[in-house]
Amino acid sequence: MTGRRTRAQWSARLVFGLFVIAPAALPQSALAVPSYARQTGLACEACHTVFPQLTPFGRVFKASGYTLFNTQKVEDIDRTKQSTLSLSDLPPISAMIMAGTSFAAKANDPDSSKVATDFPQQASLFYAGRISDNIGAYFQLTYDDQSGTIGIDNTDIRFADVATVDGHNVIYGLSLNNNPTVQDLWNSTPAWGQPFIGAPSMQGPAIPGAQIEGAMAQIVAGVSAYTYIDNSLYIEAGVYRSALQGASVADNGNTTNNIISGVAPYWRAAYEWDWGKNSWEFGTFGLSAALDNPITPAGNAVNVSLQNSPSDHFLDVGLDSQYQFIDDEDQLSVDARWVHESQNLDASYLAGFASNKNDRFDTADVTASYYWHRKLGASLGFFTVSGSNDPLYLGTISGNSNSNWATAEIDYLPWLNVKLGLQYTAFMRFDGATSNYDGMGRNASDNNLLYAYLWLAF
Amino acid sequence: MKSILAALLVAAACFAAANAFAADNPAAKKAAEAKATTTCQDCHGPKGDSVSATFPRLNGQQAAYISAQLKNFRDHSRSDPHAQAYMWGMASQLDDSLIAELGSYYAAQTPTPPQSGGALAAEGKQLYLSGAPAQGMPACVTCHGAHGEGNSIIPRLAGQHADYLKKQLEAFRSTLRENDIMHANTKDMTDSQIEALVSYLAND
Repeated sequence: MTGRRTRAQWSARLVFGLFVIAPAALPQSALAVPSYARQTGLACEACHTVFPQLTPFGRVFKASGYTLFNTQKVEDIDRTKQSTLSLSDLPPISAMIMAGTSFAAKANDPDSSKVATDFPQQASLFYAGRISDNIGAYFQLTYDDQSGTIGIDNTDIRFADVATVDGHNVIYGLSLNNNPTVQDLWNSTPAWGQPFIGAPSMQGPAIPGAQIEGAMAQIVAGVSAYTYIDNSLYIEAGVYRSALQGASVADNGNTTNNIISGVAPYWRAAYEWDWGKNSWEFGTFGLSAALDNPITPAGNAVNVSLQNSPSDHFLDVGLDSQYQFIDDEDQLSVDARWVHESQNLDASYLAGFASNKNDRFDTADVTASYYWHRKLGASLGFFTVSGSNDPLYLGTISGNSNSNWATAEIDYLPWLNVKLGLQYTAFMRFDGATSNYDGMGRNASDNNLLYAYLWLAF
Repeated sequence: MKSILAALLVAAACFAAANAFAADNPAAKKAAEAKATTTCQDCHGPKGDSVSATFPRLNGQQAAYISAQLKNFRDHSRSDPHAQAYMWGMASQLDDSLIAELGSYYAAQTPTPPQSGGALAAEGKQLYLSGAPAQGMPACVTCHGAHGEGNSIIPRLAGQHADYLKKQLEAFRSTLRENDIMHANTKDMTDSQIEALVSYLAND
């Protein structure tokens, strides 16, 4: 057992939690972009049941590189009449604002408030749309009120084309992106998974998700090749490497931890069955990453020369499934995901920051959401994380980070691009205990949180 | 009613002639096939045989009907909710020759046969062939053909998605989809009559 943490350890863990492992099963920003609607002339419902959940057509639009357009173009050709320029006459610019206020069951510490208001919680500008006939982008610049800074958010730049092969419709392409699964087509993988929004003040367990579930968001660059055949079979393979914002040259300092050693392979395969108004997807995804100079969930960092630095190796294998029923009156979605992570902690163990050389970690979640006329909605989700007992590595009193929580939400959309939500999150277990999980009398349920939000995209 | 039908048939004949004239355009034909196989099929399915009932089947649909509807989407004269959400944008940049060739492309595809069977379908067949004179509802067969195959700007109904047919009949009845003739024909239809007619014509 680690006993009580020092202030420095708490600070390190806070930094780890906020910036190094963006909570995965905990809310992430995810959204729809109205510039796509302006570019295509299609209403939101063509691509979304309710934003940001994609419909089958929305998946095809994304796989096709965001290039479908129904607007005038500015064009140019060369002497062989080949197109050299094909710009939409409307710049595909959009904006998004999120604002919210939250009420915790109990303040995080005696000096804090139970109530937090974030205005804006997040404000984003997008270039989201077609760049040329076969290239399109989803590029997001975000002001985040927790850091008070503007930074590059989710980015996905694509080349895509379509061919008919032996009677089959084959979409194929390349994605250059900065968050594993941000390029994915279903809402059952991490980057666009449930819940779609949450309070910044919400507490997360020592490890809220596997590496592929948000830990690498916006601090990596990856390129992958994919194909989507007959709008059913999806296969993708790619690699990621570190691309820290504000630190293009990784040197040996406190800001250059968790650097991917070489490249991290990524894979994805999925199959979707469509019948009537139903669709069902089942798939697998995963990532294998060796991280130099790792930081442990307890907040301990290995800091040696990156040229010779030891690494911890993480192998994430995920399974996911999504069912949708979509018609004009009712929209039902059920998303489920399970990720198993094998952790080889050579570096952390050698440094005395881990009790075991090998740990395991699992996450599982399932969320069902229903909308009536795309206007009134309700969702219910269950989330669980569990793993090996490793007091040194995790820094928890129990020695593990096993946690269970549930989220219930109701939404009202007066217009398709305006969402008002009320969300309640209840923790049944937190960092391996239902009560006194931190040794200072704090119970899992003290982290329960009521959160009201406004989400605008225009 | 007879004068309405006569006017409709004359209009259909004129439209068919105009469409046949516009349809001889190799570049437009190639562009239409590319459009159909890379864009339209994302919703309407390969060769127009859509999976989801949200999107109508176009395989074997009348060319003139498709052309007329695309022009109505383009100039916004058809304004039911799905027209606005999906087709206003999709049709906005189509020119007349491409529209004509899209109509020809889908008309040439093998239609999906209707599934009609069972007691409800028998009632639907009776309505289709004889109408409901007491309600002033004419026989559908008069315009839509002996086998629901349609004629020029009168659409094929046979083999269409049940839910799509049902929603169109309801939309004509409520004028959500504006069409004077079809509103007159459906305004007194009951929900059960719609169900019966759809079960005779549709394939789902």
